[in-house]
Amino acid sequence: MTPAQDTGLRAWIQTTGGIAGILLLVQFVTGILLAFYYVPSVDHAHTTVSYIEKVVSSGSWLRSLHHYGSQWLSVFAFIHVIRLFLDRAYTSNRVQWIAAILLFGLVMAAGGTGYSLPWDARAFFSTRVAEGLMGGLPFVGGNVRLWLLGGSDISTLTLSRFFALHVLLIPALIAATIVWRVFGLNILKLFGPRHVFAGGVVFLALALWCWKHPAPLGPSVAEASAEYLPRPGSQFLWLYQSLKYIPGGLGSITGVVLPGIVLAVLIFLPWLKRARLIGGTLLGAGVVVILLMTTASYLSDRRDQNTRKQLSRQAAEEDAWRRQPFEPARIALATTAATTTASAPVLYIKWCANCHGEHGEGARQGRVNFPPLLDVAAKPRRTVDDIVRLLKDPAAYDLQPPMRSFSNKITEQQMREIAEWIVKLKK
Amino acid sequence: MDKPDKSRRSFLKILPLGVLAGVIASIGGAAFRFLRPRIFAATDAWLDVASVSELTGAQPLTRKIVAEHVAGWAITTEEHNVFVLPAKNNQVLSTICPHEGCEVVWEQARNRFSCPCHESYFSVDGARISGPSPRGLDPLPMRVQDGKLQVQYVSKEQATQA
Repeated sequence: MTPAQDTGLRAWIQTTGGIAGILLLVQFVTGILLAFYYVPSVDHAHTTVSYIEKVVSSGSWLRSLHHYGSQWLSVFAFIHVIRLFLDRAYTSNRVQWIAAILLFGLVMAAGGTGYSLPWDARAFFSTRVAEGLMGGLPFVGGNVRLWLLGGSDISTLTLSRFFALHVLLIPALIAATIVWRVFGLNILKLFGPRHVFAGGVVFLALALWCWKHPAPLGPSVAEASAEYLPRPGSQFLWLYQSLKYIPGGLGSITGVVLPGIVLAVLIFLPWLKRARLIGGTLLGAGVVVILLMTTASYLSDRRDQNTRKQLSRQAAEEDAWRRQPFEPARIALATTAATTTASAPVLYIKWCANCHGEHGEGARQGRVNFPPLLDVAAKPRRTVDDIVRLLKDPAAYDLQPPMRSFSNKITEQQMREIAEWIVKLKK
Repeated sequence: MDKPDKSRRSFLKILPLGVLAGVIASIGGAAFRFLRPRIFAATDAWLDVASVSELTGAQPLTRKIVAEHVAGWAITTEEHNVFVLPAKNNQVLSTICPHEGCEVVWEQARNRFSCPCHESYFSVDGARISGPSPRGLDPLPMRVQDGKLQVQYVSKEQATQA
């Protein structure tokens, strides 16, 4: 890192960058490993993390490395900044100084977003706090909160956003900062204006193509009919067609091993004699095989009448499916406890259960008491109609915040559904 | 004077490499165990196909079985098609093509099974006719219990190992 000026203690003090670097590497490696099992969705996040903890070999240790490693990394990244400050790096090496500050900030951001991912109670409250902090920013707070959550409340969209920030955006920024710190690359020098222009024209063509042709997506595999004819993307048609001509296991040789050997030979071309001849033969053969097989694949699909019919039927099915309205997934996050009453409506779980409990048993958070709803119908002014009116305007029923109006959250019909469930609750 | 200095320098060169190797080995070893694929236990449950009384005729019949698969953190319930050959004493055939594992279908009009992926064809009793498939369609373990035909589900992996 910095040129070693001294030996002894002073040299050891200057190792803060190395320590932070190793810890950062550990975060990258363990993070990538965790991503092999983790699923960022409210119905699977906690399940997959517990699977890592309880079932997968070394899972608990690797996750612990990631969890505590992030805390140690924050500490050492901060110590590194202080050390650089004491060494006056801000005058002697500006890039090093700025990169250290950026890295510290990014490491903190990574830690903040990572806390939400296991989706346990700790994660939920950390997300709540992040929401509150962002929402409290002057002027922009409301919008920052909405953009961070992906919606007006914490949901599965929030988890996806924290996941994308934590595993894609922030690590990419960290990597870019390190590349800049180590190589000082000026990216604009890599591309001349002609390159940029040509690339731009091709992008325009692709953009127009995609405007007319959405990427294919049909009904889920469970709904697919038995007659479904699968066809690969056009860059793989040669492979697909060649598999028809080659018996059994030989497909792996011609489709994987041979192309692999060809690529390996091409890599070592600079060291080979007769490079022009060998390379020309291989590339030429490749072009011929690809063109022949791709053409054969197109022709065989056109020629056979049944195939043609089935393919156009599939295209029509995909088209029809695309026109159907989106169907959201139904996910019940409520734990099913042994109660005699019918399970709570989904909207009760979403809006009410946080404070009044999943079974209407009430709760206590700090000094605030949230009243239980059991036997509430026995009290005056608590019929179904009353409860619906109360949900619209709690003040009219002498209720104080944090009880709030739900008029802009749920419809009257939904309020009635919740109310009808609540009046049946018994102690 | 020269000698100890030299050995000290070579020690300083080796030490960091050793430490780095230690870090990589400890995490690398754990990573290997962490990523090691698991072999899903074969389900030996007997799954209902149909009542024996409704399995008649000379044509192969396509029937659905519902199998539960334990795969990592999820237990999935999946439907699988199987072919029943009433003409061959209700033998049950897997619909998984022995070539690359695509789902084979019965072509009534041409009196044959065909694979939609790479054009392997099988005769009415499941024997291979042509195409890249190395063999005919695999028979599944079957039994008759209380007038019901039952099978054990066999995955492509188990089928190709057999």
